Amino acid sequence: MMDPVADRWAAAGRRGKVGAALVVLLLAAVPLVTTPYITEIVLTGLVLVMLGVSWNMLAGYAGQISLGHAAFFGLGAFVTAWLVSPSGAGLPESIAQPALVAIFVGALVAALLALLVGPIMFRLRGHYFAIGTLALATIIQLILVDQRQYTGGSTGYFITGGPDDLVMYLVALALTLVTVVVTYAVVESRPGLGMKAIHDDESAASSLGVNPLKYKMFAFVLSSFFAGLAGGLYAQYTAFISPDSTLGVVWTIDTLVVVILGGMGTMAGPLLGAALFIVLDNFLSSIVGGLATSVEGALIILFVIFLPGGLYGFVRDRTSDERPPASGEPSVDGRSSDD
Amino acid sequence: MIAGDLLTQTVVNGLLLGGIYAVAALGLSLVFGIMDIVNLAHGHMLMVGGYVAVILFSSVGLTPLVGMFVAMVVLFALGVALQEVLLDRVVDEGMEQPILVLFGFALVLQNLGQFFLSSDAQSTDIGIAGSGFTVAGAFFSFPRTVTFVVSVVLILLTWLFLRYTRTGQAIRATAQNKTAARYMGIDTDRIYLITLGVGTALAGAAGALLSMLFPVDPYVGWSYLLKAFAVVVLGGVGSVIGTLVGGLFLGVSENVGALYLGGSYRDIITFSIFLLVLLVRPQGLFGTGGGSE
Repeated sequence: MMDPVADRWAAAGRRGKVGAALVVLLLAAVPLVTTPYITEIVLTGLVLVMLGVSWNMLAGYAGQISLGHAAFFGLGAFVTAWLVSPSGAGLPESIAQPALVAIFVGALVAALLALLVGPIMFRLRGHYFAIGTLALATIIQLILVDQRQYTGGSTGYFITGGPDDLVMYLVALALTLVTVVVTYAVVESRPGLGMKAIHDDESAASSLGVNPLKYKMFAFVLSSFFAGLAGGLYAQYTAFISPDSTLGVVWTIDTLVVVILGGMGTMAGPLLGAALFIVLDNFLSSIVGGLATSVEGALIILFVIFLPGGLYGFVRDRTSDERPPASGEPSVDGRSSDD
Repeated sequence: MIAGDLLTQTVVNGLLLGGIYAVAALGLSLVFGIMDIVNLAHGHMLMVGGYVAVILFSSVGLTPLVGMFVAMVVLFALGVALQEVLLDRVVDEGMEQPILVLFGFALVLQNLGQFFLSSDAQSTDIGIAGSGFTVAGAFFSFPRTVTFVVSVVLILLTWLFLRYTRTGQAIRATAQNKTAARYMGIDTDRIYLITLGVGTALAGAAGALLSMLFPVDPYVGWSYLLKAFAVVVLGGVGSVIGTLVGGLFLGVSENVGALYLGGSYRDIITFSIFLLVLLVRPQGLFGTGGGSE
């Protein structure tokens, strides 16, 4: 399964390899050479990369527009918080786990939820799937808001214990790399081809022997695992959790903005999108203040209509001689649709 | 156990509320049935309608029953502008692009509400909240009864419009087969404009009516979207009568559920019923299909 990554890495050329290694080194140096404020911004960027890459696999490759990504992020965050500081949520201290184990378990629980609800949710197609996932996420959020003894209600609670910020940052960087590499390996190999086939034309893929549910489930469970992982990391790093903010639709919104700005259905898209988003997010609020979300909404609209390939598609079109035009990567604009 | 008359009262309240839910859902259903687009910003348009009524009431003392007409005009214009400027460019591009554009539009509306009108909930109390009349042991409060009657009238007018006007017939023809309608000389672009305008005007009416019963805040959009979509699923896409039945069903089940399980479960019940119905009968309890799937 890792072959496509190895092949692409071998074919990347020296400049590509040096460039990728340099970016990772620079990211690793951030907490050592900058302020905690900037470090937290970059960490948020890494979390958004994980969310963007994972949602993109489900939506951009498999064509399943989910509006419930925040639920899996939030669930991973809450399970992590419960296991790291159980007493904060009124749970017995005996279930306490080291932060890394807790984050991993959080991601597993998020994946398990996807495994359980997936076969049900995928009875829905197109618009119905999108609205169904929004309803599911809302139900989960409402239940956790209501169960205030475990979630701190609308005020949330603080997570105590766990490694210091530098360690957590480096763990986040490592897990972001894992997320990107694994997702890349998946979309470039057989399951990825299955996902793209479903995206292009589900009934045609089905009649050619591709089992749509199998590949949709694959994308959904893996996507939810990485969303849960991102949630756990973020909760542990910021050491604070609340049902309103951690499970809020705002995480789904940010994920969509990242992927749409960067380029849906491409691997580099969410990486570029997260970088752009972090810049926007920090400059926008100082320029437009409370209207930042409006600008984000407007950007979604403008990109979908005028630049459906996102920033990555734009750059690729401008430098098209470097890549063969038929890259096999579906973009939002260049596909058939029959939903 | 909960006393019988309390249950009766809850059912009556649910039925009266269900009328507004039906109006809220009808616009969503029309747009979905005819243009094959789920207006993700529909709930936020209800919110705008509510704010129009609230602002007219608090600034010039206009009753929401009159403010409703202003809200309908404002929302009709907003819907037409949305279709003309944005949706028209993506409406034939499949499902992804329109749904994402509308998602972005919903964000803009919510944020503008937050920014200009504050996050505090506001309502239109026209001073008749406590008054009403009693029939067979059940109390019919004036605000709920009046909004119910207005809702039913709006639904009836929409049905007559679709059934008997030339534009209404053209809308139904476009819903059945867009290509054929085009060959028959129907300007389907204009039909889309009118459909989105009428759909969002109904959202404006529902928002103004709801402001008489519940406070409006910038975050009600997603919840109202899910409720309206639940009614669409219950009633069947594009069915006017089904929408009315679906709205009443939702209003009653929501209120009765909240009576037994507690108010904080109101929305959990609603969305769970919605998901269940969606899974068991994606074409709606009373629908025969239409739309996608």
